[in-house]
Amino acid sequence: MEAELAVLNLSKSFGSLKAVDDVSFEIGRNEIFGLLGPNGAGKTTLISMICGLLKPTSGKVVFNGAGERRRVGYCPQENIYYPKLTCLEQLIFTGEMYGMSAAAARERALMLLQLLGLTDKEEARAAGLSGGMKRRLNLCLAIIHDPDLIILDEPEAGLDPQSRLLVREFIKNISARKTVILTTHNMDEADRLADRIAIVDHGKLLLLDTPENLKRTTGEGDILELIFESHTENKLQEFAGEIKKQFFKVSCTGDTLLIKNPNIINSLSGIKDAAGERGLRIAELKLRENTLEDVFIHLTGRTLRQ
Amino acid sequence: MKAVSIAAKSLKEQVRSFWILLLTLMMGPFFIFVYYLITESTMPHYELIIINKDKGIENESGAVNLGEQLLDYFEESSKESGFAPFSISISGSREESVGRLKSKEAEALIIIDDEFTIRLSQRMKERDAPVAGIEFIGDLTSTNYLLSAVWAGEIINGFISEYAGENSYIKVTETPLGVSGIISEFDLVVPGILIVSLIMLMFTASIAFVAEVENRTMLRLRMSEMKAYEFLSGITAVQLLVGIISMLLTLLTAVMLGFSFTGSIWALIIISALTSLSIIAFSLIIAAFTKTANEVLVVGNFPMFLFMFFTGAAFPLKAEPIFFLAGYPVSVQGLMTPTHAISALNKTLVMDMGLSAVMTEISSILILTVIYFLAGAFIFRRRHLKNY
Repeated sequence: MEAELAVLNLSKSFGSLKAVDDVSFEIGRNEIFGLLGPNGAGKTTLISMICGLLKPTSGKVVFNGAGERRRVGYCPQENIYYPKLTCLEQLIFTGEMYGMSAAAARERALMLLQLLGLTDKEEARAAGLSGGMKRRLNLCLAIIHDPDLIILDEPEAGLDPQSRLLVREFIKNISARKTVILTTHNMDEADRLADRIAIVDHGKLLLLDTPENLKRTTGEGDILELIFESHTENKLQEFAGEIKKQFFKVSCTGDTLLIKNPNIINSLSGIKDAAGERGLRIAELKLRENTLEDVFIHLTGRTLRQ
Repeated sequence: MKAVSIAAKSLKEQVRSFWILLLTLMMGPFFIFVYYLITESTMPHYELIIINKDKGIENESGAVNLGEQLLDYFEESSKESGFAPFSISISGSREESVGRLKSKEAEALIIIDDEFTIRLSQRMKERDAPVAGIEFIGDLTSTNYLLSAVWAGEIINGFISEYAGENSYIKVTETPLGVSGIISEFDLVVPGILIVSLIMLMFTASIAFVAEVENRTMLRLRMSEMKAYEFLSGITAVQLLVGIISMLLTLLTAVMLGFSFTGSIWALIIISALTSLSIIAFSLIIAAFTKTANEVLVVGNFPMFLFMFFTGAAFPLKAEPIFFLAGYPVSVQGLMTPTHAISALNKTLVMDMGLSAVMTEISSILILTVIYFLAGAFIFRRRHLKNY
């Protein structure tokens, strides 16, 4: 995979606080790269350095061999727009600031407005748009200059379901031609969109892998909950003791047996058979697969919102 | 090229910030109008009431009424007196006229005796005949009455001399001191008010700068690698345009209200443009200390107050020089560019002097503009761009 961007031993300190601590990774061309971390983990500092808005204390960011800020499109979490300009006016203006001709900027602005469902608002001033529309305009402004690397900070935050689908579809489409860095609090969004996910906390890169690998290899794994019909307590305790030898974590409460293990679905038929051999009849079975949220909590000891 | 795009965008934003723009453009004309009303109301004006009781006489050439001829003489004299500080009104009732005197509607009442023609005619024939009577009524402690009485007395003497066919022994001429004869008090305040109209740029310019901070759009501009000079020149061009329009509107208002514009329009435009640049540069300092348009409207009042009232813009103010630099007085007020701009405008507009006569003022404005700009850019960068 050809690297679009290489982050090499990047560090940033503010006084005694080390906001980013020796972080290194590469992002491939046309990859969607998820960046997860709780508040204060150092994501924004990292992104600011990639955008060229902040000078690193040490290390560097290399864009496919040569650093160039213009090749980055940054869509911040906060909507940043010109309230007194119309959608079309500010897109053309922003394009011109990136060195585009007025005609080229206009053509691309109209295309983006159409893609993000804002065509009928092109002559409307941004101040009068709804929250979802402002969010979409924010996205248009970030990519008006057709950047190679697009950084999206919480792109779905504050969007209504309809806009969320539109934006999600848009990100998928642009990733066919562009490299995307996605920071989000929405694990489902990251799981669905990202090719690889980096988890950062306290300025350090904790783990970097595909969502599937992260879920498969990290944390306590899937959770299988078995509720049994009438039985003797000894039988269930014996069964739990036997199961414990094979699986990561087993707990028994009343009629219920909880088993936590990665890829437990592969062992499900064996468990059922073993229970049947002991005369235990399963009344109800619940299976919850390991999620990115579980992986995240396992790694950082806290949820993403904390 | 980017500077042109920034100017176009800034112009749109400026026009759409309607109330701020209106405040900036209208403040100068408003001040002109206020000063016009003030100077008009304080301009000396004396109202005389005349009651003509003269019955007149009949002679071989018909009816003669010298009282009526005196009234005509008064009317003509009041019209001939330049800016006409005196006006005459005719009355038929003593009581009603005295009432008007008491209510300060008039300064003096002159009553022409009923035998004015008879006695004046007799007097012309016999030197011992009784004299014609004219009664003056008014508040003897009032300066206005005294001035009115002196003026009326002069007119009556003139009338009598003319009637009697006597030649005057003396001819009195008046020579105006300084420019008092050719320009009015209103003309003297106009240069200052023209500068007031430029001082108001502080608000629009500061808001134009701080808007990028308030909306956080500075981040987008920085991402685009726009240069600081492109940003500053784009905004400055629009503010300069607002300043020139504001000044021209103020000048137009002043001319419509009677300002006698005698200087060079080009000198006016050059001085105004330089002053506008200095105010825009100073606005960068205000923008550096504020984060929102609302803060600009609050914080900006302090420097605006200083620039308006301590430079001689809003009203004439004598600055005490701390020292002289090549013969040019340097004062605390001299740290503010309007001080020099007003001096330059007074010389070019009122004294009809050329640009060469105000090179010291222009140099002072330019030096202060550079100082304002450097200070503003340094503080703005420290306060608003330190994260970039």
